[in-house]
Amino acid sequence: MSGLSTRQVAPVVGLVIGLVLGLVYQWGVAPVELVNTYPALLRTDYRWEWVRMAALSYVADGDLERVRARLDGLDQDDIADAMGALIEEYAAAGHPADTMRRLTALAEALDVHTSAMLIYQHTPGPSLPPPTTPIPSPSHTPTPTPSRTPTLYPTPTLTPYAPSPLQTPTPELTSTLPTLTLTPTLTPTPTPTPPFLHRLELAEQEQICEPGQPERIKVVIRDERGAGVAGVEIWLMWDGGADRAVTGLKPQYGAGYADFEAEPDVRYSLGVGELGTPLITNLRLEPCPDDEEMGSWLILLEPRSPE
Amino acid sequence: MQAAIGAAAGLALGLVIGWLWPVQYTNTAPAVLRQDYRDDYVVMVAAAYEVEGDPELAHKRLALLDAEDPAAPVVELGERLVAVGGSAQDITHLARLSWALKAITPTLVPYLEGSP
Repeated sequence: MSGLSTRQVAPVVGLVIGLVLGLVYQWGVAPVELVNTYPALLRTDYRWEWVRMAALSYVADGDLERVRARLDGLDQDDIADAMGALIEEYAAAGHPADTMRRLTALAEALDVHTSAMLIYQHTPGPSLPPPTTPIPSPSHTPTPTPSRTPTLYPTPTLTPYAPSPLQTPTPELTSTLPTLTLTPTLTPTPTPTPPFLHRLELAEQEQICEPGQPERIKVVIRDERGAGVAGVEIWLMWDGGADRAVTGLKPQYGAGYADFEAEPDVRYSLGVGELGTPLITNLRLEPCPDDEEMGSWLILLEPRSPE
Repeated sequence: MQAAIGAAAGLALGLVIGWLWPVQYTNTAPAVLRQDYRDDYVVMVAAAYEVEGDPELAHKRLALLDAEDPAAPVVELGERLVAVGGSAQDITHLARLSWALKAITPTLVPYLEGSP
């Protein structure tokens, strides 16, 4: 080795050792305290959950400024992706039209666009009431709501709050709550007949082969007596788009008729009215049995009998 | 002696580098959110429960804040908002979620149907 003496090497070795020790201490032993973080630092799935809950809060309280404040600082792509996924999921699950309209309005306000929004953008629907009451879902109905009676207020037997996990409720809670004499306000009422559009279902689906003719998805809507129903709004949806038709605009085919042009290799969903609930999913053109050309579909929708 | 001086200088340099470029925490969990964000998180869980009606999902979200007692932040925040005269709608949502999680307290009972 050439002229490097111990006197020259020692400081360098010491510097390296000291540097390593310093970094180990700062990064490993006493790193930056992980407290007081903010939503933008959340893991991706938690950030999406944050956006999703902010959107659902908007459905519950209608406060746009509050949502904006909650989403402030988050990446616009995150917001768009999470909102888009939420709307697509809710549309596919058939959530109420009012909920979908609120989500769509919020998405538009946040400059988010997804194909499932198209229906609600073009169907203004009834004016939205103030969202002061919860929208119960079927799984929510068992939750009793206490009536506002004098017996509702705490009696001496009511034990103080005792933290307990959901899965293992403590005996105090289960034994104490009934002493409040909470009266469910869910009064059984006769189930009204659902509106006509809510009762529509697929009655028949037939492939039609018309060589030389453009492929179409033809829809016929009939009432209980078999008569065509005009004026019904039909939505054909696919990944990235949607089309709308109204029955009765081609009277030569009957009052309940409407059709759409269709493309091969595209998966369609068919919905009726403003519900956004697809009555038919995964609909795609198929080749005719005796021909290489694609066939059209004739779809007959009729109301199921009220139960 | 020179080695010791070098080590001291290196240690100081390491500390400065570690302080200037700390460990980057970008994948944090809700549990380490600042208190006001934690409160907002709990309010959002309660509001989302109003729409979704799924207590299990709400429980799962709250467990990210307090795995041992997920209902505790809901009750604590609800009672705190009652004490300071917070939003009646938020308190109502928190009260309903507390009820669903079997953690309702006397303070929150009057809000089960809305503002008292």
